[in-house]
Amino acid sequence: MAMRVAFRCLSANFSTVQISANRPLWKANTARTLSTASRLFTDKHEWVRVEGGVGTVGISNFAQEALGDVVYCGLPEVGQKLEQMEEFGALESVKAASELYSPLTGEVTEINTELADNPGLVNKSCYEGGWLIKMTIDNPAELDGLMDDGSYEKFIKSLDE
Amino acid sequence: MMLRTFSNLCAQSQACFRSARAKSTLSAVIDETGKSGLILKSVSTDIFENLALEDWIHDHVDLQNRSMLFLWSNAPAVVIGRHQNPWQECNLQVMRQKGIPLARRRSGGGTVFHDLGNVNLTFFTSKKNYDRHRNLQVVTSALKGLRPDMDVRATERFDILLNGQHKISGTAAKLGRTAAYHHCTLLCSADRALLSAVLKPTCQGIKSNATQSVPSPVKNLLDEDPTLDCDTIMDSVASQYNTEFGFSSPVTLVDPSDELSLPGIQRMARELLAWEWTFGRTPKFSICTTFELKNDTSICNATLNMDIKNGIIESCDIEVPSDWLPVELSREFSLHLIGGKLCPYQTSVIAAELLRTIPQNKELERKMYNLCRRVVFMM
Repeated sequence: MAMRVAFRCLSANFSTVQISANRPLWKANTARTLSTASRLFTDKHEWVRVEGGVGTVGISNFAQEALGDVVYCGLPEVGQKLEQMEEFGALESVKAASELYSPLTGEVTEINTELADNPGLVNKSCYEGGWLIKMTIDNPAELDGLMDDGSYEKFIKSLDE
Repeated sequence: MMLRTFSNLCAQSQACFRSARAKSTLSAVIDETGKSGLILKSVSTDIFENLALEDWIHDHVDLQNRSMLFLWSNAPAVVIGRHQNPWQECNLQVMRQKGIPLARRRSGGGTVFHDLGNVNLTFFTSKKNYDRHRNLQVVTSALKGLRPDMDVRATERFDILLNGQHKISGTAAKLGRTAAYHHCTLLCSADRALLSAVLKPTCQGIKSNATQSVPSPVKNLLDEDPTLDCDTIMDSVASQYNTEFGFSSPVTLVDPSDELSLPGIQRMARELLAWEWTFGRTPKFSICTTFELKNDTSICNATLNMDIKNGIIESCDIEVPSDWLPVELSREFSLHLIGGKLCPYQTSVIAAELLRTIPQNKELERKMYNLCRRVVFMM
């Protein structure tokens, strides 16, 4: 299982490097290619996927299940600067208004406008169509503190205990 | 129910002012008591101070192994949910006339009217212990403790109904990093006529994806039984809270304007009071409406189309038949509104300036004045 995962990561990185080479979107002075093979998770059940120096942020399946049906997504403005762990909005569901916390330090470059008319996308497709914001990665070292799929699964299990 | 002031609580806990530098005084005192359950009651009836205290407790008190009940009531105010549109929810003109402020809370849910005949209950817990059913059971059990044959029941929507028909309580909640709060209203002896007047929105033609209230017929507990006043009910709920959760907490009075024990709270109250939060946090919406303009001799229909984001008018098109008012005038008015707040005061100032520029023509002036007044009235 680990071998397969490692191989997947390797090939994903390889293809991403190629794409990034054609896309002059990342800062010239970043030491490494800012892309992650797959999602990384925070302990607040948010995920971030980095491609070409831009992070896409959303909430995990665990989180969307716990939330219940989302009826409104309160998101930040494009251009808003966020510190890691800073509250940047809230998702309202029948359960409550649940605050959203920025997984990284950066600037909001895009918000998912589909969610205005279709907030349920967060429940239906939390890893794809239900993404929340995109942001720059001002401090790549912060990515090292996040969990990969496997670690996040373990983390969720530990919450039940 | 024993009432203690915050200073009594301080005196009891010797480490009162030896508070850790990282913590603020109230949370340090609470930690020192070693109690896992606490009941606080606000001495303030200011909605902004009380909402700020809720936020302060949520942000500063360690709620991982502790729960708290906060009892509070306010002078008349309308409180909307975090993602609501005040123009869609309440009668802002009547509120301004009567000096009733608008507040936006940080929890979700719908719009409510508060006055001194309404009791607010906030249940603070860790996220893990968040349980609205159990909290509402505290309330219904407390009421049944006072009147065993009273028919009060919590619904699936977390309302409490009296006799299966009338809403006496509504619920909202906020989930934060590690803690949560669930608060609910409880109608004891609220001014129902005023409640109906302010919760009747007057702005027509709003198109919005803001969360909307579900209107319900309401009743006061005092109507059911004249001995059920706010203080009696608060005491009973506090007592039942202790019973339900196995605590033995007296009710401690707290002053939410006390910056020394609650560092940062005044800034929090100011943020809640600011136009940028109460009105400016309204989700993007548009107004598309037709209205009548009258003068002594004629009537016409005008239309207004506006897009509003963050409470600011982003686009505005007011169309009035050209035989009623020169197109340049209505266009001028529309243009001047763009970039300004959807605010009757600001719009009145703009209108007054525009009226000064109209050439000496009483009829034209009157018509323009009518138009401006009508638009201001919408806000």
